[in-house]
Amino acid sequence: MHRHSRNSASDPANIQRSQGIDSAGNISTMGLHRRGFFADVGMGFTGLALGAMFARDGILRADEHTEWTPPNGMPHFAPKAKNVVWLFMNGGVSHMESFDPKPELTKYAGKSINETPYQDVQNPDKLKLARVTVINDANGQQRNKLYPLQVGFQRYGNAGIELSNWIPHMGNCVDDMAIVRSMWTTDDNHGAQTQFHSGRHMLDGEFPTLGAWVHYGLGSINDNLPQFISMGNREYWNAKDGHYLGPAHDAIPIRVDPKNPLDFAKPANGLSTEEQQIGFDLVGGFNRLKGIEYPNDPALAARIKAYELAFRMQTSVPDTLDLNSETKATEELYGINDPATRDFGMQMLATRRFIERGVRFIQVQHGAGGAGAWDAHGGLKANHEKNFKAVDKPIAGLLKDLKQRGLLESTLVLFATEFGRTPGTQGSDGRDHHIFGFSVWMAGGGIQGGVVHGATDEIGFHAVEDRHYVTDIHATILHQLGLDSRRLEIPGRKRLDIDHGTPIHRIIS
Amino acid sequence: MATLLLGMLSRLVAADGEVNYLTRVKPTLAARCYACHGGLKQEGGLRLDTVKQAIQGGDSGAAVVPGDLELSLLVRRVSSKEESTRMPPEGEPLKQEQIDAIKEWVLNDAKAPSDEEPERDPRDHWAFKTPVRPEIPTPVAPSPSVAEEDIASHSNPIDAFLSAEQHKHGLIPQPQADRRVWLRRVTLDLIGLPPTENELNEFVADLSPEAFERVVTRLLESPQYGERWGRHWMDIWRYSDWWGLGAEVRNSQKHIWHWRDWIIESLNDDKGYDQMLREMLASDELYPNDLKRQRASGFLARQYFKFNRTSWLDETIEHTSKAMLGMTFNCAKCHDHKYDPIAQTDYYRMRAIFEPYQVRTEFVQGEIDPERGGIPRVFDCNLDLETFVHVRGDDRNPDKSRVMEPAVPSFLEHATWKIEPVPLPPEAYQPGLRPQVIEGHLQAAQKKIDAANEALEKAKEDAKNGKLSVEQARLNLDAAQARLRVAEAHLRSVQGRASAAQAQFQIPKQENAAQLATEATKLERIEALAIAEESVAKIAFDLAKAPADKKGDLEKKLKTATAAIEPARQLIDSSSENFTPLPGAYKTLESNVETEDSRRRAFPTTSTGRRTAFANWLTDPKHPLPARVAVNHIWMRHMGRPIVPTLFDFGRKGTPPTHPELLDWLAVELIEYGWSMKHIHRLIVTSQAYRRSSSEAQANPSNLAKDPDNRFYWRANSIRMEAQTVRDSLLYLAGDLDMSQGGPSLPASDEKSRRRSLYFVHSHNEHQKFLSMFDDASVLDCYRRSTSIVPQQALALENSPLATAMGEKIATRIKQANPEVSDAEFVLAAFLSILSVEPSREELNLALDGLLRFKKVAEHENRADSLSHARTSLVHALLNHNDFVTIR
Repeated sequence: MHRHSRNSASDPANIQRSQGIDSAGNISTMGLHRRGFFADVGMGFTGLALGAMFARDGILRADEHTEWTPPNGMPHFAPKAKNVVWLFMNGGVSHMESFDPKPELTKYAGKSINETPYQDVQNPDKLKLARVTVINDANGQQRNKLYPLQVGFQRYGNAGIELSNWIPHMGNCVDDMAIVRSMWTTDDNHGAQTQFHSGRHMLDGEFPTLGAWVHYGLGSINDNLPQFISMGNREYWNAKDGHYLGPAHDAIPIRVDPKNPLDFAKPANGLSTEEQQIGFDLVGGFNRLKGIEYPNDPALAARIKAYELAFRMQTSVPDTLDLNSETKATEELYGINDPATRDFGMQMLATRRFIERGVRFIQVQHGAGGAGAWDAHGGLKANHEKNFKAVDKPIAGLLKDLKQRGLLESTLVLFATEFGRTPGTQGSDGRDHHIFGFSVWMAGGGIQGGVVHGATDEIGFHAVEDRHYVTDIHATILHQLGLDSRRLEIPGRKRLDIDHGTPIHRIIS
Repeated sequence: MATLLLGMLSRLVAADGEVNYLTRVKPTLAARCYACHGGLKQEGGLRLDTVKQAIQGGDSGAAVVPGDLELSLLVRRVSSKEESTRMPPEGEPLKQEQIDAIKEWVLNDAKAPSDEEPERDPRDHWAFKTPVRPEIPTPVAPSPSVAEEDIASHSNPIDAFLSAEQHKHGLIPQPQADRRVWLRRVTLDLIGLPPTENELNEFVADLSPEAFERVVTRLLESPQYGERWGRHWMDIWRYSDWWGLGAEVRNSQKHIWHWRDWIIESLNDDKGYDQMLREMLASDELYPNDLKRQRASGFLARQYFKFNRTSWLDETIEHTSKAMLGMTFNCAKCHDHKYDPIAQTDYYRMRAIFEPYQVRTEFVQGEIDPERGGIPRVFDCNLDLETFVHVRGDDRNPDKSRVMEPAVPSFLEHATWKIEPVPLPPEAYQPGLRPQVIEGHLQAAQKKIDAANEALEKAKEDAKNGKLSVEQARLNLDAAQARLRVAEAHLRSVQGRASAAQAQFQIPKQENAAQLATEATKLERIEALAIAEESVAKIAFDLAKAPADKKGDLEKKLKTATAAIEPARQLIDSSSENFTPLPGAYKTLESNVETEDSRRRAFPTTSTGRRTAFANWLTDPKHPLPARVAVNHIWMRHMGRPIVPTLFDFGRKGTPPTHPELLDWLAVELIEYGWSMKHIHRLIVTSQAYRRSSSEAQANPSNLAKDPDNRFYWRANSIRMEAQTVRDSLLYLAGDLDMSQGGPSLPASDEKSRRRSLYFVHSHNEHQKFLSMFDDASVLDCYRRSTSIVPQQALALENSPLATAMGEKIATRIKQANPEVSDAEFVLAAFLSILSVEPSREELNLALDGLLRFKKVAEHENRADSLSHARTSLVHALLNHNDFVTIR
């Protein structure tokens, strides 16, 4: 596996690049070499941001009375995966109508749960999980009248796993997936979106998301691209990731638009690339000269490196997002020619291109509007049919494409949502939020294919076998990346056992 | 098994049992056991902080029996496989190697240093003792080379304290920074804007001994000082504009900017820090009739959270104690504090201080719609609400057996704790009595009349222009006249209610109060009748216009409305004194389940006095914490590093001060100079330490070896500008900065605004894009800004519309001020203007080379004026210089 060390002073390519830019002024090279300045120029800026964050939080630095040191960018043990694709369906996907079909719902349709053999699901002790944010909320309530399945289901793949008919394309990839049918969470409203990412209920405060932890823990694979990016709609849940790890660990929002892929990606004053190159050269030269007065200033060194990366990002990000070089067959694979699948298909194709170029963690959210497009309090059938249509083929396309390019082995793909939906009906044709049992799946990155792990009861109410809180997903992903979250923990920011979770070893191959 | 273990352990036994204990056992005990078995607490009568006490044991016997693993309770309990008996009871079990080390040590006779001291009584912790002004050390010349500085350094005690430490550590301080560098440093530091060219020239030319003082005085008196330092305190006090969903406020309050303006004004007036704390916590009780001061309670109004009162108060407690006390009270929410003598009950006693408060919006001059304007302020609303301990911090499980009385923890006993209820003046609980509120109601009533008159004119027009049938026109006219009658009745009702309320709530009550109340009630009822009549007239007109299929509904409505008239008329004749006083404030919903009726309850006539007691206790000059915490914050922002690194934790878990005497001296100085922050600013920025060069070049090599992190201030620290300073500096250099102060927050999306950055909406949901690139403050918690260095910052300064537009303007200004100059002269002017320094020869050469290259490309691209274009590009490059965003 290809890995870059943070200490790129030992990396000849980096020194060469620095000197190349530096050629704008020969004097600087001489003056700086004398003071060993280049050794610092290679320092990762995430490391620097971290130091500042520590000081902010009043935590000692490594050189003051403590043995603690920030991560060095290396995994803690041999990793199985090096990239993560984190697909998140905003609003709450019905588990029963996707990855955990429940024919008993149809059998007892219209009956109150108390009239079925499953009345025990409403035993108050079993409902205590819920930690209510909004008292007397119109949503997030118990719904007692069972609502029949709104779609049929069938067996897919060699594994013969039963999935709904709304996801035929993903169904065809089931032999690469490990489906976890026994998830639970505690926030019965959409704060559960944040909870899925950070592991904490919103009333506990704000905590780093998993992507931020990964970004904090692992070094860069590609020095020309940001290592943690986010695509798609993220208006409801907290738009920041780093929190106490610092803003350097926030995901960088990317739009699949080569002309305007990220904020401030192009000069607003219409400078030509050549003029800009001279400008960046000049800035680099000035900063290197400043190194004579400030030979040990890590901020100066990091600033030099940040400008070099920024200059390269200006071309590397739009290049990555330029999908023109892709073949017709690939476009077809992702559904780019069909208006229904085009938007998400482009995001999935861009995702593959980012993966190819070594972006570490890619978060893609689907479902705009309100608390998320999947939030089917009413009209569930039309809602889910449309949303699944939009994502099914593109996601399957991504899995197949990664596989045929040999990238799936090292790329872990997660499909998730904040909670499931109630077995009972809300209004005449909807389902409410449901935290007691729901499904996610993972594929690639050393995860077993064609397996189902855990189960809900017969009506999909409670996770009853191999129950998993959301942080078990975090732990599984970190484990595959070779990280031990306990070794990332920061003094003074005590985490609880449940924050760390436990890897789901039974789905790891 | 035992033999095997023994055999294994014997190989591990260190030659020196004491070293083994100090390095491998004691740290584990300190981290995992002392919280309950040490100086803070002695659960089961056991202390483990000295070996002697461990051997002596507690209620269950000896914890350590030297040489005997079986009899040593400590060993048995930490290695127990049963969760019910295993120690420590919380968190993960000890690691195997930690247990092995303890066993090895016990087997090796549990040796301990003979001079082992028990943990000190937590009450004796340095930060819990009132600071006493320490003696100023006698200055020692650090080295012959800086002898000339010495005379000056004697005069500022800060330098005496710092040089004593430098001398002790054999550090030679760096010489003074270039005068321009100092001027840029102090100007950005005190007002958040760079020095102008004139200011630079003037200062460089002013060789009088008072030159530095003069600059400092000028800056501290500048109105921009309050904005610069206001933003710092807004970080610490978690200033946030409201956020929620759509128009629904869920966090903080609308119009909270009044609090921001109060901060700025208070700082500019050099209001004492103690007074600022008192006003933020209890202005409603201390100055119930002074609305201007009540803007200060925005600090508490900002904590508002609609959906969970416990979260709301948790944040109030956490951040009041972190910001003002430097204590982590939040750690005692679920259990007793592990490091400081704060019991879980103390946490809920603190909560009881805040339990009664709620938020309301006070009407302001000319505005009686609280959505559009008003001052959010707090008041004690629920005087009898009881506070209970939440078992294990779970708000679903309050322990109702014991009511928690409001109190502060007993370990801070410097002042007596006394709560006295505060009787409020009538205007405080009947804000409708305030003259400007009455005027607001009268103005609104007059506006209604004007609008009704206008509508009546229009109805008359409509009657002529033939669009309506004769019957319709008549009904339309009736309705308009009815509307005018309502408006007129409303004005009379407002007048009557205002007089009646004044009479009734005056102390003592006015004699004619009853008569006025009766009249007011009557006027109010006349208005009600007019409204009922207007309703009938309107429906009648609608009915006349309506198509046949809609008439049925309207006829029903008309019947109901007509039926309401007679009862309204009868009410007028029945005498009553039960009038409605004019509203003068509007309470924010306590939660999403509070009803409108509850919200409109009358405001209490007394306040509990709890927050006043708290504020007085907090600002007692003998209180050991607030002054220390404040000077530490101020020091860090000037000097680039705090004296106590744990800014919000001065407790036993916090890091001790690097310069304890200096901290205490500054704290006492603050208190004795009337808590004047400007006094502390002046002391710090006129010190020699503040004048030093931040460069490490030519530093004594032993400095770098002994103190590479500059813990002892042998040089100045470079500081990355805060986001606001980056943007403000760009605008200011371009001559574009709008210096108007105060007022409602600007939309975060307003790219055109040229106001200072602290006036943008700043909330959890809304971020000004340019500012957020440079680590803008988190509204949740920001005791210190992060200073990340990421490529997006480079993109923002290189490419953003703001940076490019300002770059062009700055270039134009420099060109205009320096017409007909050579490239070299232009480079000099640009460096001075943007970075406040002259370029070195190498920098000049590099810049000249850059200009040549820019020109060549510009010519190649057929740009109109290649020279001017090249110079603009050079300016843009200098704005991207690391030292533009750095305070050197």
